[in-house]
Amino acid sequence: MEEVWKEINLASLHQRRQLNIDHEPLNQELPPLSSSTQHGSFLPPPATVLSLNPHSIDTHFDESSRFGCSEKKRSQDSDESRGDRRHKRMTKNRESAVRSRARKQAYINELELEIVHLQKENARLKRQEEQLKMAEATQHQTKKILQRSWTCPF
Amino acid sequence: MSLSNRDPLVVGRVVGDVLECFTRSIDLKVTYGQREVTNGLDLRPSQVLNKPRVEIGGEDLRNFYTLVMVDPDVPSPSNPHLREYLHWLVTDIPATTGTNFGNEIVSYESPRPNSGIHRIVLVLFRQLGRQTVYEPGWRQQFNTREFASLYNLGLPVAAVFYNCQRESGCGGRRS
Repeated sequence: MEEVWKEINLASLHQRRQLNIDHEPLNQELPPLSSSTQHGSFLPPPATVLSLNPHSIDTHFDESSRFGCSEKKRSQDSDESRGDRRHKRMTKNRESAVRSRARKQAYINELELEIVHLQKENARLKRQEEQLKMAEATQHQTKKILQRSWTCPF
Repeated sequence: MSLSNRDPLVVGRVVGDVLECFTRSIDLKVTYGQREVTNGLDLRPSQVLNKPRVEIGGEDLRNFYTLVMVDPDVPSPSNPHLREYLHWLVTDIPATTGTNFGNEIVSYESPRPNSGIHRIVLVLFRQLGRQTVYEPGWRQQFNTREFASLYNLGLPVAAVFYNCQRESGCGGRRS
């Protein structure tokens, strides 16, 4: 029990020294730490307990609460923003993946169309070549005999 | 016959992001150097430095066409808040000829994407008459749909797109 009170005493002493609250001088309130028999009357009131000096408690409470709560709020914020950031990153990555797949598919589809087009053109050109070859062959046959092909202009 | 769902222009979301769905009716051949542009071809800035050769089809020399070249993925495809950027605008191109015979009212500016893989789209429209299309005030935040509506160009008669990323880009692949 005494250890608990000692701890609370130490804690409040630490806080008061930090916050530099200038109400009652510290030495009046705080008992010597070594003494174990005086814990009843001379211990400073813990910060959470209402005391006769409302000012000190208010500022004390405010500072500590502000300090404590803002700390909690900051970590909450960063937790939330971390989650938000992760979520944003996920959606951005998802959209990028969709674009990448669309890009790939568009290119593939274009290549397939080109293949069909080129196959048709190839077939057409081959047929044309065949026809020209046949036409040339028949022309050659008729040209084996000497013929007058041009008449003198005058 | 409208574009099929498997058409590269649809799959690549050019129809949607830039154009309405349309039916191809005029031949459009775009060539950078020796390379003919096919949909989705990957070209780097060094390969598209100078304006390409553009040949169009059609039959009647009395018909005039407008060619628009835009980048809808500015400044980056993941955040295209400056869509679109006008790279080139040539009007009064007679059928069966090419951009050399047209009126270059917005000069060719070569694509130099910095972030991501950009689609560069070339669209051909048929004009109602000659000298009926005028250049916009600036290249940024161009809107092909609105432009076509403003000058009564109707739906596109042809379109082709290629992909362009910065010279040292990894091609969208990381290993």
